[in-house]
Amino acid sequence: MNTPPWRHPLDSALLTVLLGVALTALLVALLRLLGAA
Amino acid sequence: MDIALLDLLLRWAHFAGALVWIGHNYATAVTRPRYVPLVAADLADPNGPRQRDLLQREHGTFRYASLLTLGTGLAMLGLRGALPGALGLQGGLAPIGIGLWLGVIMVCNLWFVLWPHQKRVLGFVPAPIEERLRCSRITFLSARVNTMLSIPLLFFMAAGSHGGALLP
Repeated sequence: MNTPPWRHPLDSALLTVLLGVALTALLVALLRLLGAA
Repeated sequence: MDIALLDLLLRWAHFAGALVWIGHNYATAVTRPRYVPLVAADLADPNGPRQRDLLQREHGTFRYASLLTLGTGLAMLGLRGALPGALGLQGGLAPIGIGLWLGVIMVCNLWFVLWPHQKRVLGFVPAPIEERLRCSRITFLSARVNTMLSIPLLFFMAAGSHGGALLP
């Protein structure tokens, strides 16, 4: 499978980290929204 | 053994296991930041350079380190009687509970998605070359998913013990 390097966001280490940070923010927002913390 | 001492030893093992496991994952992300597709020629010759490179990577220790990390994490919560509350994301246990669930997803991803496909790429499980190439793409994305999930996991692990800022 000759997938070009730009095909998927996770192909880039930098984008992977940015997605991880975005996911963190999303989970914190959900946590606060749901009033669990 | 004193419960506090046992807790300290579990925490030590938890950190060490996580460093071995996630350190392996991060090292891969640093040394191979971009996806380089395998091609049929890489796998056709079992003694070819790319195939040898794949086989010489470490494939066992970090998988068992993941079990040590999850096991010690569960044990620490269990010692405190906090396991049901964390699993149920209840109150002040919600931050560490999110970290716990992310860890469970990551261990399952490693053992049930990455490893079965990696066994085909490496030839431990016989498969046609086209199938092995397809599996190599899946192992890459699976590893990167764990890189991504480790970031919120670390945040919520830290928030679990030092999470005053998250509490109202």
